Amino acid sequence: MSTPTLDAIDLSERTFWGAPPEQRHAVFDLLRRESPFAFFAEPQVPYIPVGPGYHAVTRYADVEAISSQPALFASGSGAVSIADMPPDLNEFYGSLISMDDPRHGKIRRIVAKAFTPRVLENLVGNVQAVADDVVARARRTAEAGDGTIDVVADLAAPIPLRVICDMMGIPEADRAMVLQQSTVILSGGDPELVEDEEYMVTAFLKAGELLAGLMERLAAERLERPADDLTTALVTTEVDGERLSHQEIASFFILLLVAGNETTRNAISQGVLALSEHPAERDRWAADPGLTRTAVEEVVRWTSPITWMRRTATRDVELSGQHFPAGSKFLLFYAAANRDPAVFADPHRFDLSRDPNPHVGFGSRGPHFCLGAHLARREIGVAFRAFADHLPDLEVCGEPARLQSSFVNGLKRLPARLTGVR
Amino acid sequence: MTRVVVDREVCMSAGVCEMEAPAVFELDADGVLQVGEPTDLAAVEGAVRACPTGALQLVD
Repeated sequence: MSTPTLDAIDLSERTFWGAPPEQRHAVFDLLRRESPFAFFAEPQVPYIPVGPGYHAVTRYADVEAISSQPALFASGSGAVSIADMPPDLNEFYGSLISMDDPRHGKIRRIVAKAFTPRVLENLVGNVQAVADDVVARARRTAEAGDGTIDVVADLAAPIPLRVICDMMGIPEADRAMVLQQSTVILSGGDPELVEDEEYMVTAFLKAGELLAGLMERLAAERLERPADDLTTALVTTEVDGERLSHQEIASFFILLLVAGNETTRNAISQGVLALSEHPAERDRWAADPGLTRTAVEEVVRWTSPITWMRRTATRDVELSGQHFPAGSKFLLFYAAANRDPAVFADPHRFDLSRDPNPHVGFGSRGPHFCLGAHLARREIGVAFRAFADHLPDLEVCGEPARLQSSFVNGLKRLPARLTGVR
Repeated sequence: MTRVVVDREVCMSAGVCEMEAPAVFELDADGVLQVGEPTDLAAVEGAVRACPTGALQLVD
């Protein structure tokens, strides 16, 4: 691998994000050392005006400083896209993520109820049953075929899909559509998922429409017959005596489905890949279930399923002695902060017993900390225990197909073999 | 005696404290944080450090 040079780095270049992670981390290391607020021109999105450019924030301390001052560094003009999207599109796809206080705080507290550790405790049986079933099906798939499976389609995708759909009360018949459309929304325009880049925004809109259509149907059903699910909570809940608006419910519904699927799926698939590249760590975890608490955190740090979120300066600001004018855009590169040697000893070492591990894989300090962190931790822990117990013969047997997206550290496919089958 | 103070304006019911020190912190059915006696001080200190909004404080 050639050593990167500052001049040659362009984080807006799509191919950079499909390259192997070692190259990506070599670039992050260089930026963090030499240019911790490096400035880049924005990638072009068809039909969206190109904005002023953005600063790539790669030091842990700066990510934390920005994240923990939401009044100075706002999310409202867009946290999940580099370009400022048209306001309706931004609100539709960003929901809480692209919202500031006071509205954000009010809505967040209401939905937080559905994600408390104790509520999730009741889901453990559910997550366990889902993982056991998925693992059994994967083995049958391997047995019925040539002994191989796709880690993404057969293991990593179905676990979070079934858990979030169960929580939200999505009927069985709609789940394949949910997975397909949420994959499109977070494709980052990967050419395999969005065939014509020219129509990228159209593809996102179409996906959103299909999911919103499902929401309309379910919402009407739940208003008539409330059920014990999140969709019922969304349509019946009140903020300051008011119900959420139709659009707020739709965008929240999409957020929960998309975030519930895309992040955990990639944590699991990338985690399987990391364990196959570090067999001593894999064996250690398999032999010691007590390692699960720290191992889950290390999987999240290592994989950083969401690579960045954006913030925008609300006025002239100072960071680590540098001045930035109001309107400056910052991409908080969690993946880079999670390998910052100022915080993590030997940061490029995959160490399942790393403790403490104050990673920012769920976001850094501040009001936008991942709502689903407990759920994700639970799913990842249960999934990897199920793999260790029931798929000890799982062996990655080919190259992963990486998603060409700067935003999601995704795998599209990861071929593996169950060596016990044949 | 050491006790835990919650800034109610800042708490967003993330539940990270409950993960760190389940014997001391509990989000009730309305998502409001309930705080008990800080029995396990090490765990409570962990919760104070881990709180994503900095809503928790230990005072003597």
